[in-house]
Amino acid sequence: MPLTFIDIERQKNWRIVLFFLVLMALYLLAAALFFAALLPGPLSAEPRFWVFLVIAAALTASIHFWFSASNAVDTVVRRLNAQPPDLKDDVHRMFANIIQELHVVTGAKRNIRCAVIPSLSLNALAAADLKGNAVIAITEGLLSRLSRPQVEAVVAHEAHHILSGDCLETTVAASIFGTFSSAMEKVRYSSSNRLFASPAFLLAWVLLQLGYLVNLFISREREYRADAAAVRMTRNPLALAETLHFLSRGWRGAGFIGSGFEMLCIVNPVATTLDETEGFLPDLLSTHPPIKKRLEILLQMARVSITELDANAERRSGRKGTDAQERYFVMSPARLWQGPFTAGELDALPWLSPLTWVANGKGKTAERAWKDPLLNTIFLRRLAGDGRIESGFTCPVCKQPLVTAAYEGTQIVQCGFCAGTLVENGRIPRIIARTGRERPCTERLNALARSVLQQNQARNIYRKVAARGAGQVPLLPCPKCKNPMFRGFYSTAHLIEVDRCSNCGLTWFDQDELEMLQCLIENRLLPDITVAVKD
Amino acid sequence: MAGWIILGIFVLGILWLIVIYNGLIAKRNDVQGSWKQIDVQLNRRHDLIPNLVSTVKGALEFEQDTLEKVISARAKAVGATGPQSKAEAENMLTQALGKLFAVMENYPDLKSNQNVMQLQEELTSTENRIAFARQLYNDLVANYRTALQVFPSNFVSSMFNFRTEEYFEAPAETKAVPAVNLSIRK
Repeated sequence: MPLTFIDIERQKNWRIVLFFLVLMALYLLAAALFFAALLPGPLSAEPRFWVFLVIAAALTASIHFWFSASNAVDTVVRRLNAQPPDLKDDVHRMFANIIQELHVVTGAKRNIRCAVIPSLSLNALAAADLKGNAVIAITEGLLSRLSRPQVEAVVAHEAHHILSGDCLETTVAASIFGTFSSAMEKVRYSSSNRLFASPAFLLAWVLLQLGYLVNLFISREREYRADAAAVRMTRNPLALAETLHFLSRGWRGAGFIGSGFEMLCIVNPVATTLDETEGFLPDLLSTHPPIKKRLEILLQMARVSITELDANAERRSGRKGTDAQERYFVMSPARLWQGPFTAGELDALPWLSPLTWVANGKGKTAERAWKDPLLNTIFLRRLAGDGRIESGFTCPVCKQPLVTAAYEGTQIVQCGFCAGTLVENGRIPRIIARTGRERPCTERLNALARSVLQQNQARNIYRKVAARGAGQVPLLPCPKCKNPMFRGFYSTAHLIEVDRCSNCGLTWFDQDELEMLQCLIENRLLPDITVAVKD
Repeated sequence: MAGWIILGIFVLGILWLIVIYNGLIAKRNDVQGSWKQIDVQLNRRHDLIPNLVSTVKGALEFEQDTLEKVISARAKAVGATGPQSKAEAENMLTQALGKLFAVMENYPDLKSNQNVMQLQEELTSTENRIAFARQLYNDLVANYRTALQVFPSNFVSSMFNFRTEEYFEAPAETKAVPAVNLSIRK
């Protein structure tokens, strides 16, 4: 028989009526004994007392029944602290959309709310009550770990429970016995030993245990039926199988989802051996069929073996590991290691330059940022974003493209990151001659030039004395011909260290060096000759 | 006495007729309403596509061909009249969109763009809604057809000329035989 949602709507279940009657009787008996335990006095009172007690219990029980069962959805939502989905959140929005899709496929016959349970556990549940409210709730943990088709499968499964009406009986049972058992626990904690030892109390406790017989009326079959309906709606048995498989291995919320709510859930929060066995007694007492059996049925529909499913799940989790973006640690300008950052987050760091020390998370040694091809793309994009013109040369220091720039009325080539400058030899006199036209010698530059001069003078003398050659710092390659450039002072009178390529006629100035040279010449700065010579 | 009995049977017969007739009318209206529902969802898709195209256009510079196809398929689907040509145009649009989504997978920039992801989610949802609306339509048609044909309401349906409704047929290419996986099961 085809199980369309219209057929499900129509199913009138005689079990629901019987269930309510039995539930009522059980509850009345339990309540009566509960009252007997609370009231002082001998249990062997006259029969009139008992009659009165039963009537009183029946009254309170029916009032309680109505109030707890008519508003059961609100009770469940409140007790689990479930929240309506946040529509600004992508994952929550997807969930809300899926519920809307559900309304399309069921012809909007029933208004179903959706809610998210703020818990990291993995479970989903449905609840419906006598007022006609219905809710599908998924834990935050499950929602964020499932793909869209998998969430669809879960929602379809729960929707079948609601539409077929078997959600109503479970919700009513859960709300009544949930409140009853919490009341029992309170009495047990607060009462004296006398009360606990009283036979009436023990009887009430036995009755509470008998309450689990409610499970007799909640057959395992409905889970199979709901699975079938979910497959019919989504046409994707594999997604549901994957979800169940995933659920079977995670924390399903034991301890968080209170006792009494187990039968509302897609899988029993407490994993029990009873659930996972088949046979007459487990069939009778357990509310959830073995996950293994459910998986088998679904996998047969999808024509996939369980080992294949396992391998897929492994592969997916494995891929997540390698696919996850690389993490980087970087040294900030304050010489502190910071991180971990993803490449995207690095992009947002304003101080990141090709010369920044970067170590990626795999325990590699720290390298300059330009050595990482992925990070290089960031710098390239930054350059492109600035709309500057590439010169075709690469910076000898940070290996980024150099861009042409205007400087003192002439053209030079500059690095956008280390602020180094490449000048054709022919243009240097022009630049020096034009000092002060566009950029005056600031105090800072003068001071800098003076100190560099002093230092270089000392080094120059020291080098001559010690007869030591240059070359502690590796020579830079020429941006044009890639041969090592010659390092030396601009001239013996102007002790600014520059790199020259005699082949191409180019001079490389590091940051501020060109400006210092200009100021040096402009202000006729001279080194202090009386510098102390170290022996 | 006999006259009363005949009258009673006659009245009962009329009542029965009214009940069956009303039931059929309700079912037929359900079918027609669900057909409109499909249109609603198709329009929703038409409205979303220009947004998506304008959002991804910048990033998909080298995929102008795919984008063109989506735009032209949408234009065709909006302009199509008649169920047959409409179904064809919508199927074309579904395929073009599928191609676009596949292409978008190759652009990590797009995947990290929240705007694009939201639009994609909306479109996925709409695709689902279209499929589900069709599913509901077919369910209702099956329901209606059964009511038309079963005894004794088939007398009523033929008396009042209730016409049967057509199923929504899946496009030919999706009817291909699914690949059978013969791996050994436990």
